[in-house]
Amino acid sequence: MTDTDLTQQEALLAKTARDYFTDFADNTYLNQQEAAEHGYEPARWKQLCDLGWTGINLPERVGGADGTLAEAGVLARECGRAAFASPLLATMRAGTVLAALGADGRFDDVLTAIADGAPAALIAPPDRTVAAEPDGQGRHRLSGPPAVVEWLEQADSAVLLVPVAATDRWLCAIVAPGQLDGRVTAVPSTDNERVARVDLDGLSVGGCDDIGARAAQWALARANLLRASLMVGGCESVLERSAKYAKERVQFGQPIGAFQAVRHHLARMVIATDAARLTCDDALTRAEAGADESAIAAVALFAAGRSYLETVLTAAQVHGGVGTTTEHILHHHYRRAKAMQLRSGKRASRLREIHAALVCRHEGSLW
Amino acid sequence: MRTAVGPEQIQFLAELRDYLDGLDTELIESTRAENIEDPMQPRQHGRRFLRRLGADRWLGVSWPKEYGGQGRTPIEQWLFAEELYNRRLPNGLLTLNAIGPTLMLMGTEAQKADYLPRILTGELEFAIGYSEPDAGSDLAALRTRAVRDGEDYVVNGQKIWTTGAGLATHFWLATRTGAQEDRHRGLSLFITAMDTPGITVTPIITQGGERTNAVFLDNVRIPAGNRIAQENQGWSAITAALNFERMFYHNEPRWELRQLAGWADAAGLLDGDTADAHALAEVMGEHAVDVEICRLFALRGARMLAEGRVPYAEASANKIWWGELRQRICSSGLDLIGEDGTIAVGSPFAPAHGYLEHGLRSSPVWRFGGGTNEIQLDIIATRGLGMPR
Repeated sequence: MTDTDLTQQEALLAKTARDYFTDFADNTYLNQQEAAEHGYEPARWKQLCDLGWTGINLPERVGGADGTLAEAGVLARECGRAAFASPLLATMRAGTVLAALGADGRFDDVLTAIADGAPAALIAPPDRTVAAEPDGQGRHRLSGPPAVVEWLEQADSAVLLVPVAATDRWLCAIVAPGQLDGRVTAVPSTDNERVARVDLDGLSVGGCDDIGARAAQWALARANLLRASLMVGGCESVLERSAKYAKERVQFGQPIGAFQAVRHHLARMVIATDAARLTCDDALTRAEAGADESAIAAVALFAAGRSYLETVLTAAQVHGGVGTTTEHILHHHYRRAKAMQLRSGKRASRLREIHAALVCRHEGSLW
Repeated sequence: MRTAVGPEQIQFLAELRDYLDGLDTELIESTRAENIEDPMQPRQHGRRFLRRLGADRWLGVSWPKEYGGQGRTPIEQWLFAEELYNRRLPNGLLTLNAIGPTLMLMGTEAQKADYLPRILTGELEFAIGYSEPDAGSDLAALRTRAVRDGEDYVVNGQKIWTTGAGLATHFWLATRTGAQEDRHRGLSLFITAMDTPGITVTPIITQGGERTNAVFLDNVRIPAGNRIAQENQGWSAITAALNFERMFYHNEPRWELRQLAGWADAAGLLDGDTADAHALAEVMGEHAVDVEICRLFALRGARMLAEGRVPYAEASANKIWWGELRQRICSSGLDLIGEDGTIAVGSPFAPAHGYLEHGLRSSPVWRFGGGTNEIQLDIIATRGLGMPR
């Protein structure tokens, strides 16, 4: 609805990004890029980087704009609105994790590269299926089943963040593409993002293993808020398109939006979209450095995934056949909604974590 | 992103909590028990509690100082309501939160001087006379007629679902003064004392044990000075008050979830590692998400009011979310409990003190009271999205 939580500066940033995407990222463009070899257009990527988007919330010392996580969230939201696939989300997530864990400058080399436009991937399986074990010689050996990682093959570096087995510490390591030779298989994704399956079992990596569990979870929570915000953008776009269609599409002599059954579908989409946006904005508001507000961020991530999926399912119903064709942009949102939700891991695991944080530990609430 | 709840608001909440914690335990416990049993009408203890708050100047947090309020923002008012709902204590409900603000907008100086101070001391309790046997969702079809007779109006007709009429001091009464076919353009709104001759209140007991009422109006004389807004222009007062009403759906879902958590804790399921505990955590985790969303829907309304805007579709979304969530928590909570969930409130063996069992019986009104959810969805689609009617 008309309400917005954005500051003036965020609103300006949102408008800039929206105008940028509106200019070219229509369904035809998205279809072309999905069919193209790399899955995205390097020339466009360079434009995004020249706008400073990969470093928007990175510190000045690495060439970033020193902005807030909320500003990064605003950009992710506009990507989500446009259903625009690129390494941007993965790169921002990787940069956000490193910035959160590397206040002492330990990851500044990679952060500098990211702020300068080097695409990065984040390997942090949401259900913690991969773990690290010290090998006694200062390095770690990874174990676990293969993980599906966004934009891994296109990344200049991968940021790995996994728990250290049998401890409450986590390992953060920078993995160069060469280290993963023979371990990466490109797999088709249900949506227009590019993903690869990487077998990390037995891989030896060097990194920082002094990261506390809370710090690691807070870093991931911040990265996850960018995905949540992207899904909020998806909700907003799908809702707007559905409302517009319901006013234009005439059946039985009147716009279908005049039928109460359709109006109620749309009203439910409004509620779902508002729920996602309000939780995401609340979490972004609270996501100041060191705030350790992981619980509300987990709520935002769950709500965004649930709402995005509900929104696309209803939108498909409101649009009927036309919404299911590849000639309508809805097909991108439809596939992205489930994919983005699943990239947050297993629903049951996320809910159990939320239960533990909110119900059992009473984290982050005034009540 | 902008935050609505800053250090000043947190400080206010801390002061409120200190105040409430310091109140007489007997007063709090008896008020809470009474309020859990039937929250829609403060009775012996609830009235006592509200008068205590009024005397200590804690009612009317966001009311202007000129009307005797604290002159704070709607954000503090929201925090006040959240805190009281969270403790299951009455917060003044419609009288303080809907009738008072509507009077400030539309009352005459004489009406404001007469009613507002007495609302703030907790002395007055209003019942709302909108619904009739043939005018529910279609409120503009109401037939209770007020006919001008000298300096008075004479009112005849019948109201129904008039919750609180048996205890109220005053009646907020919608009547027809114009032609039936004028619909909402032929309505006038009055305030009259509940003990005015000609008013008869008959109780109706619900499946949840709450009392509502039918009210019969038989040649009830109301002075013209008690009319709110101009003759035939009562609809604006009705919709304003209804909109304020929908703004105040808050923290009960959190309280209900806490009852379920209390039961789960005692049953050893709250944070266990068994299949049952995992199943419970998944259900309660999603409810916890939805409780936070409920908080944010209500906070958004408060923030819009604080910015000088009026939430319409936003208030409707709040109301839908709140009622459906409460019902969902009660029903799925009982699912987790199983057969013991059939033990009714009042038994020492009732899980979660029987609050979920009682809640589910009480829950239908959460989805249709204050305007059915179907009407709310229409408001969202038409006012929020601009859908044609």
